[in-house]
Amino acid sequence: MMRRTLRLLGFVVLAAFIILPLMQVIQLSFISTLSRDGIERGSLTLLNYANVFRTDRLAASLVNSTIYVTLNVAICIIVAVPAAYAFSRFRFRGDRAAFFTLLAFRVTPPIVLSLPVFLLFSSANLLNTPIGVALVHCVFNIPIAIWILESFISAVPREFDETAFVDGHSTGSFIIRRLVPVIAPGIGATAFFCFMFSWVEVVFARTLTITAGKPITTAITSLFGFQTDIGLVMAMTTLSLVPGVVMIWFVRNHISRGFTIRV
Amino acid sequence: MQIYDNRAWLLVAPAFLVLAFIGAIPLVINTWHSFFDIFTLESKFWVGGEWYGEILGSSRFFESLGRSLMFSAVVLCVQFPLGLFIALSLPKSGWVRSFGLVLLALPLVVPWNMIPSIWLSFIDTETGYAGRLMAMAGIGFDHKFNAVHTWILLVVMDTWHWVGLIAILAYSGLASIAPSYYQAASIDQANRWQVFVYIELPKLSGVLIMALLLRFMDSFMIYVEAFGINAGGPRSATTFLSLDLGEDIKGFNYGPAAARSVIYFFMTLTIVWAFWRMMTLQRDASRRGAG
Repeated sequence: MMRRTLRLLGFVVLAAFIILPLMQVIQLSFISTLSRDGIERGSLTLLNYANVFRTDRLAASLVNSTIYVTLNVAICIIVAVPAAYAFSRFRFRGDRAAFFTLLAFRVTPPIVLSLPVFLLFSSANLLNTPIGVALVHCVFNIPIAIWILESFISAVPREFDETAFVDGHSTGSFIIRRLVPVIAPGIGATAFFCFMFSWVEVVFARTLTITAGKPITTAITSLFGFQTDIGLVMAMTTLSLVPGVVMIWFVRNHISRGFTIRV
Repeated sequence: MQIYDNRAWLLVAPAFLVLAFIGAIPLVINTWHSFFDIFTLESKFWVGGEWYGEILGSSRFFESLGRSLMFSAVVLCVQFPLGLFIALSLPKSGWVRSFGLVLLALPLVVPWNMIPSIWLSFIDTETGYAGRLMAMAGIGFDHKFNAVHTWILLVVMDTWHWVGLIAILAYSGLASIAPSYYQAASIDQANRWQVFVYIELPKLSGVLIMALLLRFMDSFMIYVEAFGINAGGPRSATTFLSLDLGEDIKGFNYGPAAARSVIYFFMTLTIVWAFWRMMTLQRDASRRGAG
């Protein structure tokens, strides 16, 4: 009894620690934090949200972020499924070196790569487009995608492949028609992690979009100034949380798979 | 059972082509630039190893390195025990489990540059919940000019941000332990601590090493969040390695920035190598245990 009460208490403290800062954000987003005509400072309002959608660059940044994150998830899954299949089923020359390379790229800090990537992309005409940001986020998302998918593919018995090959499938058609449906939850979990790491990343997204295609993170920073409308900042922050929360809910039962990488 | 077949490279190739383009080529460009004094990309002068000598010969570099190591050490000492403890106390089923996992994942989806703003507004003495509470309790919290307070804020904020990742990873490791291990332990009348040390910890070691690597690198190279809190202040008390690099890049010092990036990349490689060795040893140990 005593232990259960303690555990419950601990859970409440933890929940408060995580939720309170976010509650504050949501609360402020519904409050008018600047003096305006007709609305008293500190009063409850939906004005901040209306202002987000009325301000073109804010609304556009929501679209930009969504586009490059979606593109990134698509690229990562398309190239990672065959790679994960290869790592799961075969040994080949240099496979351990390849796995080490993935690990190294996953943890290379974005700021280390930001300047040369900027120079490379400016000569390849990839600046200021969602494609550029989507590509560069692959540097940390492809390794994650391969690890997660590898663990799901390894859970599929080898006989499953062999039956399909006997049925006349080629490797390509086996992966697309047979394997992908079986590892669908794994693809969901992969999509979640790629989405998450791409959505929250700031350094690359900011460096690669100077004149156009600016992401949500840049748009929020641009709101800070001489007289910052904190309510507007918080409304924008709240909106930036929505897709993540929806994703978490969908993959909550698979969230803990993956990350157990094979060496 | 894995088959040896080098044609597997065909399946791996697309992923590695993308990584070569966005990862390897930039690193080569960077290394090349680090040997030049760059005014514009058209007019640059060979300086050889001058930047490297300058950076590695400066006390500033080693001070920042010390601060970054210190920050990682503190953050890991707080977050690992806490994350593990949360994972162990989370029930194996029911709504508390689902709710708990969602809760733990929540801070992970917050854009990184918003995390300092959220916390600064949270400790604001006029509008923030925590700030007002501290003011009422008579605690003067000054994150701008008091270095200890800046550090506390950074560590608490980072814990808020990342403890969920450790807890989720540890939880996933725990969930994969077969019930028969626990049954065997209860037959042997093992106490809770023994179960943790002899069953759970060894089974978790793989996933914990991974979590350790991710958390160590991210805290060691913390940039956006630390910059947002106090831009490295007060008086460089929170100037970490990456903030020095950020300063070079913002000041258009391309040559020194490139050299610094190369140095940091080699530090990253060394760390990853060390963890790689750890993982290999752990794998061999667990194979020996199984066989």
